[in-house]
Amino acid sequence: MKTKKLDGFMKGVFFVSALTSVLAIILICIFIFAGGVPFILDYGLSEFLFGQKWSPSNTPASFGILPMIMGSLAVTFGAIIVGVPIGILTSIFMAEFCPVWLHKILKPAVNLMAAIPSIVYGFFALQAIVPIMRQFVGGTGMNMLTAIILLGIMILPTIIGLSESSIRAVPRSYYTGSMALGATHERSVMRVVVPAAKSGIVSSVILGIGRAIGETMAVVLIAGNQPIMPESLTLGVRTLTTNIVLEMAYASGEHREALIATAVVLFVFILIINGTFLIIKKKGAK
Amino acid sequence: MTITKLSKLTLTMGVGLTLAACGADSGSTDSSKDAGGFDASQTINVISREDGSGTRGAFTEITGVLVKDGDNETDNTYSAATIQNSTSGVMTTVAGDPTSIGYISLGSLDDSVKAVNIEGIEATAETVQDNSYAIARPFNLAHNGELSEVAQDFWSYIMSAEGQEIVVGEGYVEAVTDAPAYEATDGMSGKISVVGSTSVTPVMEVLVEGYTALNPDVTIDVTSNGSSAGMTAAMDGSADIGMASRELKDEELEVLTAEPIAIDGIAVIVNTENSIEDLTMEQVKQIFTGEVTTWDEIAK
Repeated sequence: MKTKKLDGFMKGVFFVSALTSVLAIILICIFIFAGGVPFILDYGLSEFLFGQKWSPSNTPASFGILPMIMGSLAVTFGAIIVGVPIGILTSIFMAEFCPVWLHKILKPAVNLMAAIPSIVYGFFALQAIVPIMRQFVGGTGMNMLTAIILLGIMILPTIIGLSESSIRAVPRSYYTGSMALGATHERSVMRVVVPAAKSGIVSSVILGIGRAIGETMAVVLIAGNQPIMPESLTLGVRTLTTNIVLEMAYASGEHREALIATAVVLFVFILIINGTFLIIKKKGAK
Repeated sequence: MTITKLSKLTLTMGVGLTLAACGADSGSTDSSKDAGGFDASQTINVISREDGSGTRGAFTEITGVLVKDGDNETDNTYSAATIQNSTSGVMTTVAGDPTSIGYISLGSLDDSVKAVNIEGIEATAETVQDNSYAIARPFNLAHNGELSEVAQDFWSYIMSAEGQEIVVGEGYVEAVTDAPAYEATDGMSGKISVVGSTSVTPVMEVLVEGYTALNPDVTIDVTSNGSSAGMTAAMDGSADIGMASRELKDEELEVLTAEPIAIDGIAVIVNTENSIEDLTMEQVKQIFTGEVTTWDEIAK
């Protein structure tokens, strides 16, 4: 009798715990959309999304976030080009080619990379990448290329961790079957095991995209933050996230609403990315 | 060419190391500076603050970067200017980049960067005080003429020798010289609300601390939501005292009584290696609007 009561009580505890995260996401949705959507409707969706001029302190003010949308997309795309090949090749190496003693060092190292706070990455880039960029590219050294290299590094642990476990999850019979047919170790891995882990690897890339597009504190230190269309790798860039964090402290009235509306756009981007992730994962499970 | 490049690399590494080692490595920076010198043909890297910042608002208005045309105001800050969202961010960038220029509150100035003279006047507390240094803004307090007894007492505390000492201690220039000493009245109690500028808030909070130490029964709420919001609140009486980090507009002065509590100079800063010492207001404007893009155009 007593255990039954305890059972019921604990069931309630678990249910409430599960409910908390759902409730949090619903509340976030409501607050972000309630704060941002009226402004977008008021200012005009197309002027907001496709306006190229962001100058909130002018009278009349203009709030076009196309430079920031393009900035986010360009930086994320660049980070994928830098980070994905390195990440996937590292994960293949760690899963199939790596000696056990090296794996014992590599694995915790990659985990540590994931745990380093992003502001620390930002300081690292400010001290290491920015001076090098200033030397070779000129200007302040705070430009799109700097941001791309940094984000390329920052998405590595996400890609390596998920890809490695999905490669390890491929049934061993695939590999042994391929070896039995006379294929070499390399050929078996690259032609049989890795293609079988494709959906897991693609998922890891998509999560990497999500990380890159949402990254704020590291980017704000090193991207230059000019609200202009990204035209060149050597010019500064402002992303959606940095636009919010840069100006939120002093913003008031319409300016503040415009920043919340920027968050709405960012939120929609993340929803699309996570939706794609779910679809691909589902496809892989079939 | 290669030697210049090499020395520049050593310099940047040196600066990086200096920052990392908190100044312990100053020797290497100095030696490479002598070898490299300052190359004036380089592009000026303009560092600005983010839109909405009080410092940017005051700076663009005083220097003429902000152009007013009837009801329209256009901030012409150079679109390629790097944006930093804090005073320390501007300082770190300028300290690390030989060709950059930025602006910060005079109270935050230190040896890591060099302040240039404006129209031949050095930026110091004295020149800000006697109005000869051009880029300065007042920190104003305002009320709508109906101060409660306790709010009046707080007001006179701020304008007293004790209050002004706190202002100077926070790195600003006092607005009232030879202020009278504050005389605490016994039994002051009640509530005061102070609303307004985010730039004035830090010094206001220290003033509140000082006042409530003397009058423990008084509670003071400080809300920081921008100069304009503060003036509006003071006008409609929802706040006892409003704070503004700018001059009051004419329509605000019709209702409000205002008094400056401090003056904050804005220093235009360059890297310590830069050989530029003087700039005119016109040159500052040209640099920050992107009309002039290299240092030798200034030196001419």
